[in-house]
Amino acid sequence: MAHPVENISSIKLAWAVSWSAFWTGFPFKLIVALLLLAGQVHPWEGAGLVTLLVVSVPIDIWAVGLTARTVFLERLGMEVRGPVGVSLWWEGAVLGALVLGSGYYAVGTTVAVGQKIAAAIIARIKNFYPKLPIAEQITLELLLWTIPAAIVLLVFVLVWLHLFGWRVKRFVMTSGQPSSASLLERVRQWDYARVPADPTLVLVSFAGVIVTLTVVFWVLLPVTTPTPHPDYPLPQVEKASKPVKPEELIKKTEANLEKAEAVLAALEKEKSKETKKRKGK
Amino acid sequence: MNAVFQKVYDFVDERIDLKTLEAKMMNEPIKGGSRWAYVFGSCLLFIFIMQAITGMLLMFYYIPSADHAYASTQYIIHEVDYGWFILSYHFWGSSAMVVMVFAHMSQVFLWGAYKKPREMIWLVGLVLFVIVMAFGFTGYLLPWDQRAYWATTVGVEIMDKTPLVGDFLARFLKGGPTPGQMTLSRFFVIHVMILPAALMGLAGLHLFFFRSAGPAGPFRGTPEELKAKTDFFFPRQVWKDIVAIAAVFMAICALAFIEPVQLLEQATPDPGDYHPEPEWYFLFLFQMLRWKIFSGEFGEVLGAVAIPGMFLLLLAALPFIDRNPERNIFKRPIALLSWTVVMIGILVLTVSAILNREFLE
Repeated sequence: MAHPVENISSIKLAWAVSWSAFWTGFPFKLIVALLLLAGQVHPWEGAGLVTLLVVSVPIDIWAVGLTARTVFLERLGMEVRGPVGVSLWWEGAVLGALVLGSGYYAVGTTVAVGQKIAAAIIARIKNFYPKLPIAEQITLELLLWTIPAAIVLLVFVLVWLHLFGWRVKRFVMTSGQPSSASLLERVRQWDYARVPADPTLVLVSFAGVIVTLTVVFWVLLPVTTPTPHPDYPLPQVEKASKPVKPEELIKKTEANLEKAEAVLAALEKEKSKETKKRKGK
Repeated sequence: MNAVFQKVYDFVDERIDLKTLEAKMMNEPIKGGSRWAYVFGSCLLFIFIMQAITGMLLMFYYIPSADHAYASTQYIIHEVDYGWFILSYHFWGSSAMVVMVFAHMSQVFLWGAYKKPREMIWLVGLVLFVIVMAFGFTGYLLPWDQRAYWATTVGVEIMDKTPLVGDFLARFLKGGPTPGQMTLSRFFVIHVMILPAALMGLAGLHLFFFRSAGPAGPFRGTPEELKAKTDFFFPRQVWKDIVAIAAVFMAICALAFIEPVQLLEQATPDPGDYHPEPEWYFLFLFQMLRWKIFSGEFGEVLGAVAIPGMFLLLLAALPFIDRNPERNIFKRPIALLSWTVVMIGILVLTVSAILNREFLE
């Protein structure tokens, strides 16, 4: 009887493990990246990049281990004991460095050559049709070099998946034990494997981590804009300062006071008249 | 502490039958179990709630008048505490909403989840898609800088070409011969009053139809496998939704940091050196309209109105045209090919529009 691993292709198996592992680890890496950004450290260069890569290693090992165990149990009916994450992660990383590293240069070369060929083809077309509009030219040129570049990229990704899948298969064959449980039991087993022994403790810890991260985020976040806006600065509106002339100011104030005194005197006169009238009545 | 919570819970439960509500919300069976592919709808709801919250915060400082819109936006960016972040989050949140709508519609299309008995969910979803695009279009004008003014001018001109209703729509939106105070007021009201109300109502209807018909489930697997994996909405799907929502939130925050909103000069009826361009998710259409075939009066109507209109109509008619109950996308080659062509087309045209910028300098 064929081993259950023989029924699945290497590419499918590698895809099932790596795609799920990527998305499992992604939110955790994003947290680190976001905190770095809030602290105004770029996670794509220098110390930020190093920090992100160092933090990513244990996250990836954990994510690969978790998803691989799930795939083995659910799809292959195999149980694997021991450090699944570490074993598969380093093989995937070495293969990735080799295949995707060389793929990076291959795609770069294809892009460079493709762009030259595309430019030559466009020049040839322009000989026959000199009025080739810019919009059509751009799209045509883009398609001419992106299609071969995308094919080369796809080939390298497939090669990596095939090789990684081959290593995963070997790993399952050497370290795995077939599970005698039915599909329903395996699904339940997979479910229970993920339920923590103390859910309250996990929930409280989880809430604590979220609160801490939120506080750290707002503490690090710059209050005012962190970008200098060099091209479109906020126009500084200067308040027009009125020139102070002391003599004029004194004269104006004296005139106002005189007016006020006159008004006051008139009011008092009117009031005394009214008082006299009342007494007369 | 638990006793206090229990008392509060019992008090509420006695009055509104909380237990039944909770059971209905959380115990919905998901055929084939929880999946990452089902998270897009929840993410959309989350993004909309965040857009509403950040939008309300911005409204504390934003003044919707042609005289003050630009200055108040500059004030938000430069002076208000965390204003730059809230505005940038709102800006990138709108892009995230468009991306998520595309992802959600793609998932429903590829999973064949629009087929009988889910036609109504698909139709309401399509209207929600149009509302999301309208949100982007109306919100773009509000900062009142050159980018906003000219994108709106181009957009309204395109709308003007619609047969029969185009002239009315363009006049109604502009409120005058050129974009001005009336345009800003109308766009503001549509953006903060009409569209949110429409979206909330239709999203509720969308969810009601979804809960009535139930989730479609995976397109592969034997009935025994699907039955074995059937799960309730809580806790696994809820957990997946939370993780996806957190990832979306963090991605929007990261974009707000990397590329915070920067205004161009204040809007003027003279474009100067500025080359009008719509928001990135309309760029593919904008670039398509540059093609020779879409020049001239007829070509413009064809490219700007007829083709997008026909495409929307085709999407609306899809559940009624495609009556084959087969849902597996790998057994629906025409559907798979059409989706791939449309996606590659949008991608290539968007990149072309970006490359086209250097020919305009």
